[in-house]
Amino acid sequence: MSDASTRDRGFFGETIRQGRIFVWYFAQFVKMRLAYRTDFVIDALAVMFSALVQLAVLLTLFNKVEALKGWSFEQVLFIYGFSLVPLGLFNLCAVNLYRFADAFIIEGRFDRVLLRPLNTLAQVLLESFNISAFNEMGLGLALMIYAGRKLSLSWGIEEILALMVLAISSSLVYSGVFLAITSVSFWQEDRMGLAPPVYNVIRFSRYPITIFGAPVRFFLTFVLPFAWVAFYPATWFIGSPEFARWAYFTPLVGGIVFGGAVLIWSRGVRNYSSTGS
Amino acid sequence: MRSGEAVALRPWRRTALATVGLYGHFIRLAFLKFLAYRLRYYTGVISYTIFVAGHYYLYGALFASRMSETGLEKIGGLTLQEMITYVAVSWIGRSFYFNNIHRDLSRMIEDGSISLQLIKPYHVQNVMMFEAVGEAGFRLIMFSLPIMVVVVPVFGIQAPPDPLLLLWTFVSFCLALVIYSQFNFLIGLLAFYLKNIQGVMRAKMVAFDFLTGVILPFSFFPEWFQTVVSWLPFQYISYVPVTIYLGKRSGDALAEALVLQLAWAVGLWLTARWLYAFSVRRVTVQGG
Repeated sequence: MSDASTRDRGFFGETIRQGRIFVWYFAQFVKMRLAYRTDFVIDALAVMFSALVQLAVLLTLFNKVEALKGWSFEQVLFIYGFSLVPLGLFNLCAVNLYRFADAFIIEGRFDRVLLRPLNTLAQVLLESFNISAFNEMGLGLALMIYAGRKLSLSWGIEEILALMVLAISSSLVYSGVFLAITSVSFWQEDRMGLAPPVYNVIRFSRYPITIFGAPVRFFLTFVLPFAWVAFYPATWFIGSPEFARWAYFTPLVGGIVFGGAVLIWSRGVRNYSSTGS
Repeated sequence: MRSGEAVALRPWRRTALATVGLYGHFIRLAFLKFLAYRLRYYTGVISYTIFVAGHYYLYGALFASRMSETGLEKIGGLTLQEMITYVAVSWIGRSFYFNNIHRDLSRMIEDGSISLQLIKPYHVQNVMMFEAVGEAGFRLIMFSLPIMVVVVPVFGIQAPPDPLLLLWTFVSFCLALVIYSQFNFLIGLLAFYLKNIQGVMRAKMVAFDFLTGVILPFSFFPEWFQTVVSWLPFQYISYVPVTIYLGKRSGDALAEALVLQLAWAVGLWLTARWLYAFSVRRVTVQGG
């Protein structure tokens, strides 16, 4: 009789086995999170509050003008709504990336991750979740439906499929960027990491990229590719022919950014030496 | 009977000079600690510059659209040039006063290391405030100044109408540092009650940038909102120092703003002191 733990399951068998374990991770996390119920509620409110502030800013800006360089309020609102969906997908499991350097490297918890026969990245990403990210996605969808109606956008099968593909691709862009930044902490130990300032740049991705000058446009398209998390994919829906074509590249960009980040991550894992605490 | 008499020991007191020396050390240590984390500030300079650049174009588009639609040059009492200066000074200021006291304090409360602070001959609140001063000093040299060197020429940031206002802006940002730090300390204290304050910290981040006027100047908002925020202390963290820089407050208004700022700084300090003394009795160390 072969030992169950060393049996070769093949790629799919192994994926299924790990998948089941991560479902247990999720259930465990929900229990843990509910232990601090007050904070759980506050966190959900914080997500809504943050979205409301963004909305208030948009409303205030469009209170001053009819259109921003030819972009109407509804169009900008749609882009913003779209951006919340991939952001929510990303936020759902990005909590640990955000505090990776602190919680895993400096406090040495990464040793434990390495000891387990599971994918390291999946362990880190799926150890804790941010359930309030569902609020973000819900609000984003609501805004897209509202703004879409004003823009007389009809939701058919094609649109829904496009939304799924584009939102997932965009969330890969977010994840890739932050995973790459997080991986830097394998070489450079720093509690906070580099994520917070980069996180701040996200807010510009929610405006039509044409309002920016060439340097910022270039930067957001190719260097820190946040133009792919909202503007390019969203234009597919709100019909601006010259940009809608670009939306088709979103999955490619997502794949490249995330794939590149995974490579950096695995190099980092090889480079890891415990703090030995 | 001699043995029954209590020996009167004079309570041990640290001299004022030693106290200054003690807390001076915390300033120095914080400064050195952040020196070890230089990398984040190099990228910070780039990201803050992008930030100002993004707003530069955003407001450029906004003011241009406003001009072509209504022929009006100003929005919320600011010209485009003033608006860009507003954004740049707000973010340069934020690069100076920003800190994570609430995170550090809540961590100490959550993992129980706060108990070690209780037996040390100094006050946690003072230590954290002076560490914040050390961090701010570090940020001023390694973060704010480099940002200024890049941002001021690139975006043509205006000098204040009167050079003396530069000094008052700096004084005002120093008071802002105290107010900001004491707010953070108060938020950190919530960990005594909530055990886990991730959600609070997230709400705080958004709320502060909004209520301090970093995201948009208050004059952009409706009248009622301006009335509400004028009664809150948040405006003293960014809106007040920035409007001092822009020369929107002069003479009596300037003095009044600075005095009120000082009053809030002292008031928040005392509130935090009192709440700490009150909350620390509830200390429960989880797990162990």
